[in-house]
Amino acid sequence: MSKSIFLGIFHFIVIALIQILILNGLQLFGYINPLLYIWFILLLPISSPAWLVLLSCFTMGFVVDVFEGQMGFHAAVTVFMGFIRPLFIKVFFENKDSDLDTRVTIAEMGITRFLPFAFIFVFVHHFLYFTFEIFSLKEFFFTLLRIFLSTIATTLLIVVMDLMFIKSKK
Amino acid sequence: MHNLIRFLRRYYFIFLFLLLEGFSIYIISQNSYYQGSAITAFANNISGKFNTQTYNITHYFNLASSNEALVKENAMLRAKIQSSYVKYEKKVFQIQDTVYKQQFEYEDAKVIQKTINKRNNYFMLNKGKINGVKKNMAVICPNGIVGVVVNVTNNFSLVMSVLHQDSRPNVKNTRTKITGTLIWEGGSYAKGKIIDIPSSIPLKKGDTITTSGFSQDFPEGIMIGTIESFTKDSGNGFYNVTVKFSTDYNKLEYVYIVKSFFKEEQVELTKDIKNE
Repeated sequence: MSKSIFLGIFHFIVIALIQILILNGLQLFGYINPLLYIWFILLLPISSPAWLVLLSCFTMGFVVDVFEGQMGFHAAVTVFMGFIRPLFIKVFFENKDSDLDTRVTIAEMGITRFLPFAFIFVFVHHFLYFTFEIFSLKEFFFTLLRIFLSTIATTLLIVVMDLMFIKSKK
Repeated sequence: MHNLIRFLRRYYFIFLFLLLEGFSIYIISQNSYYQGSAITAFANNISGKFNTQTYNITHYFNLASSNEALVKENAMLRAKIQSSYVKYEKKVFQIQDTVYKQQFEYEDAKVIQKTINKRNNYFMLNKGKINGVKKNMAVICPNGIVGVVVNVTNNFSLVMSVLHQDSRPNVKNTRTKITGTLIWEGGSYAKGKIIDIPSSIPLKKGDTITTSGFSQDFPEGIMIGTIESFTKDSGNGFYNVTVKFSTDYNKLEYVYIVKSFFKEEQVELTKDIKNE
């Protein structure tokens, strides 16, 4: 138990640093702005207590907000993702994973189940964040393009990082 | 009472969600446009210190290009000082110094935090109230314009970049002297757009665009960029001009904050008009 808490804190710091120091300064082709920090929410064990998930979401969002100088946006969207996370878990894990320490990783889910989960999760998050950030429908198609391209970039980044660094517990 | 506790236990997830979400939205509503509030000031102070540390490390990687920009500017300034002019006339007119009154003063500053990939972008500088920085001061860099100060704390200030939907500096074409408005529509940070130039005036690719000096913030003649392409908008009789910025905002490091001595007087003059 305490091991997974330390692992969680370690993930939090590393992912937050990658987001703040590298990805926030990045702009690819004028559209792509990967928000890798959402990966942290995926990495929480699916049996984590609900309040812990919500608080982690808020803290991660808030930290990214503070260092981007854009208060509250990431926090609000990420807390919402924490709220609908049980829904995703219900759909993608049909009781057959009796081991509650399971996490949303390629090693434990298999790529065919992991990819739709990660993609849809990231897409919902990006959709909310980018529309919320602009807060108008004025440049709707431009925003939509940004959402799609950034979602693909973030998902790709998550898959690569997952394959490189996350090992199966079994 | 027992029922209440049971009720809370059962639905605590939703309550906690509403609480955190409500708090986030409250923060957004408080500082959507960086209005100085306790939370922003606190967060800015923390991230400011952190960013100073990061900056201390990362600025080594940009030293070469920064130096180059400074050297260029030095050369330009050197060309302007009196000793670099040769007197052709024999007759010398003595000009009293009192004829000139200094209008602008420049405070140098370093960029310690920046975004370039949002729809609305900001820079954070390492100079604040104690250095005499005030709201609405213009910020320029050796290569061109940067933005306008929108919020100041004691040690740091926040600059609304020209890469922002509310940034609308007045600009002019140096060849034809015709003025327009610079806007940024998102996308690449290397390109902006100029509107309000009537299509009856001929334009050329590569024309230089500078600030017009009509808005009180920016001094006249600060470089913005060159015209990359333009099309005639048949609907309203204006050009649709794409301009390539002379500044690489992603590499921006050293900037100058412009203090205008006449600004307050000018604002005072137009105050009554706006009120009507």
